[in-house]
Amino acid sequence: MKQELYDLAERAIKIAKSAGADDCRVSIGGERFVEISYRDRKPENIKEASTKGLQVEIFVNKRYSSQSTSDLRPESLKTFIENAVALTKLLAEDPFRTLPDPKYYQGRSTIDLKQYDPDYEKVTPENRHSFVKAIEESCLARGGDKVISVTAGCYDSHSEQLLMTSNGFDGYEEASVFYGGAEMTAKDEGDRRPAEYSFAVALSRKALPRPEDIGADAAARALSLLGAKKIRTETLPIIIENRVVSRFGGGFMQAMFGRSIQQKQSFLADKKGQKVASDALTLIDDPFIPGGLGSRTFDGEGMAAKKRVMIDAGVMKDFYVDWYYSRKLGWEPTTGSPSNLIIPPGKRSVKEIMRDLGRGILITGFIGGNSNSTTGDTSIGITGQLFEKGEPVHPVSEMNIADNHLKIWQRLAEAANDPYEYSQQRFPSLVFTDVVVSGI
Amino acid sequence: MKKITRRSFLETGAAAAATTIAARAILPRGWYAFAQAEASGYFEREFGITEAMCRKVLARALAKGGDFADLFFEHTISNFLILEDGKVNRAACAVALGVGIRTVKGDQVGYGFTQELGEKAMLAAASTAAMIADASSNNPAKEFVPLKTKNYYPVKTLFSSVPLESKLPLVQSVNDKCFALSPLVIKVNVVFHDQQKRILVVTSDGVKAEDLQPRSYIASTVVAEKNGRRERSGWNFGGRREFSYYTPALAEKLAKTSVDRTLILFDAIQPPAGEMPVVLGPGVTGVLLHEAIGHGMEADFNRKKISTYCTMIGKKVAEPFVTIIDDGTVPNLTGSINFDDEGTPGQKTVLVDKGILTSYLHDKISARFYGVKPTGNGRRESYQHYVIPRMRNTYMLAGDAAAEDIIKAAGKGIYVQDVANGQVKIGEGDFAFYVSQGRQIENGKLGAPIKDVNIMGNGPKMLSNIIMLANDFEFHEGGAGACGKGGQAAPVGFGQPSCLVKSMTVGGVKG
Repeated sequence: MKQELYDLAERAIKIAKSAGADDCRVSIGGERFVEISYRDRKPENIKEASTKGLQVEIFVNKRYSSQSTSDLRPESLKTFIENAVALTKLLAEDPFRTLPDPKYYQGRSTIDLKQYDPDYEKVTPENRHSFVKAIEESCLARGGDKVISVTAGCYDSHSEQLLMTSNGFDGYEEASVFYGGAEMTAKDEGDRRPAEYSFAVALSRKALPRPEDIGADAAARALSLLGAKKIRTETLPIIIENRVVSRFGGGFMQAMFGRSIQQKQSFLADKKGQKVASDALTLIDDPFIPGGLGSRTFDGEGMAAKKRVMIDAGVMKDFYVDWYYSRKLGWEPTTGSPSNLIIPPGKRSVKEIMRDLGRGILITGFIGGNSNSTTGDTSIGITGQLFEKGEPVHPVSEMNIADNHLKIWQRLAEAANDPYEYSQQRFPSLVFTDVVVSGI
Repeated sequence: MKKITRRSFLETGAAAAATTIAARAILPRGWYAFAQAEASGYFEREFGITEAMCRKVLARALAKGGDFADLFFEHTISNFLILEDGKVNRAACAVALGVGIRTVKGDQVGYGFTQELGEKAMLAAASTAAMIADASSNNPAKEFVPLKTKNYYPVKTLFSSVPLESKLPLVQSVNDKCFALSPLVIKVNVVFHDQQKRILVVTSDGVKAEDLQPRSYIASTVVAEKNGRRERSGWNFGGRREFSYYTPALAEKLAKTSVDRTLILFDAIQPPAGEMPVVLGPGVTGVLLHEAIGHGMEADFNRKKISTYCTMIGKKVAEPFVTIIDDGTVPNLTGSINFDDEGTPGQKTVLVDKGILTSYLHDKISARFYGVKPTGNGRRESYQHYVIPRMRNTYMLAGDAAAEDIIKAAGKGIYVQDVANGQVKIGEGDFAFYVSQGRQIENGKLGAPIKDVNIMGNGPKMLSNIIMLANDFEFHEGGAGACGKGGQAAPVGFGQPSCLVKSMTVGGVKG
């Protein structure tokens, strides 16, 4: 299909230019996917389809718009783009809107990121069903008589994406994705029916764990929530489990974008070179991890990907600044979007850290909550385990933590040795001291 | 279930939102320049979708049996105009076109969709859907009877007929008014969104339903600075509205609300933590109902016995003055629907009737399971998704107390004025919602402003803890909100009178 995407992109650029556009950027994506879920030992949903979509960003008379469509019939597309160019001319002028200087396209890495697993072609419907059945069976077995409901599922896709600009960039990517997961609801006291999930996602089939492990993990997690209660409001050390760190860290990250900074909605705007976290926090953006879910050799604007240290031992080093906001800010562009994010893991396991801390809360899930990127204030519901003398005492629910991102990261004490594999954000579990945990 | 998708080029640079400017005045031709507002016959006229073709595709979907099958045709045009740094300097448009084909057998669903509306592509998608069944074929109905419903959002003038020249000054005026209102304002963002969604549902049991669903909103975000401190807030108005709703008076009201709400934050604190009485102000705080009871009453969660409410029908869950309704028939409200996405007419469903839990929210699958009629809650994000039970507009009826008496009765606690978002764990019933604006209550009176605090509660516990309702019921007139479930977004609405909840956990900062 690669050639088909190139032909379509070239055609779209030609139409836009003949309609009067000064420049344009086209991205086209195509995907074939299959999704299956099981419940009660039979298929609950089977879904399969192919999608294709085209987005064209138009630059004309220092004006800008972006248009997307799934109707790619030649006549429709021609009318769509011509109309888009005409309408763009009616907007207000914005001298900062241009395509990137082509020098930022240069120096693209030639590394093989291993984004497409040739085994993808070999996956059969039978493979998928037996994979999901195995997840379901192991979850049912591990959940035992506490099971109320188990849903297991898989998803896989083969996708292609092409980015092309009228000032000389083109980049093509082909990727496969494999996903397996399960959710279990368990019987608890009264009307409480705690549910938890487990999943794994990877670009190659071999990188997935055994289905039995996914199912058993979902069950173990659901069972661990039985008998949850809230405790009185208290200041405690907390450990945020690896797989949910990204949800909490997202509140901090929002303030790292060029748009937040230029629009004066960032509590980090004037913090470059300053200490914004404890020495324990180093944050690296690494686009070059083979098989990484966020790996890439160019970004969404075509700028060559680079490895960057965003935060170095607590010191704010860099921001996510795309071409447009770099021009508005008068800064050098970096990239508008994160690739793979790494917080270097520490030496100790969560268990060892718990023993050391004595009493605290291991947070395994968040609920509700939000974060204010202008001020850094944040407040979010938590679920997890109260531990004492390093051992779990009981699960907690209906509790909350509240703080400010400029303060709480200064109290990051340690990163554990467990970087999370199934996300673009490969964060280890993190330990914070002196956090107000509100309950009764 | 979590599903991870890889980064998409299509998200490039779309910081706020993205989409269009399909103005009929400048677009006299082409397939998306609509000739008329009437829904009827649109897909046949524009795409050649005939009844004979539908019957053939439905027959293919039932080729291996199954209880029923349906087709969901969609053509949606979404436009965004975005103002930043004083000028409307960005527009975005998205066009979605396709058909989703579903085969249902008991509680099992087979689903395929295609973006090409040709017979060959549709038959292939139908074959995918048919895979869920494994018996001998069934036949679709011989005739499709057009569904007649009331229209809760009649459209006189399509958004695609409103010239860009009319929309631009509206957006610009909100910006200019915000800056004029206070010298402390340093940044303003304004987004105007309009969408027209055409749908056609054809079912194997012989229903054919066509609709034109408008949706629009105008939203502004204000950043202000005072003595080196910055605060941000905003507001939005919208719903299933035509362009005529967006008057200069509304723009004025939007600007004033946004600026007032931002400036008050300079005095705001994060409140103390712990359990305390909570008073919810009228309107948007209905998000509480959405999380605390609405999701838990969606029938799919109950037939699977994974909702905390699954054994409570017919039981007392709240005081007798509490009545909670989910309603698709409120004129022009964001969550209203003339019929749902599987062809069941729009209606009003009482969830809690004078304190007694009365009905779940059903789609066709759960209605069959429970042996009841579908309640018109079968909804989907787009042709790419299968139907699941979803809320529409969820609200609680007014009581008879005066709002100030409710605040007085709270004594010491917090008053919630605006809620940014919420979430619920349906099995436990534990929910949370994020208060972006409110006040402390001290000695029965409103005190210092508060902000950025999450409140936690448990659905059934919270319902039984509603001890007073005021006579100041309001629907939230915003249009920007959407509810997420199973990876699908759906527009929903809220409403509520002021209400006193005896106790909830406030996630404040001080011990």
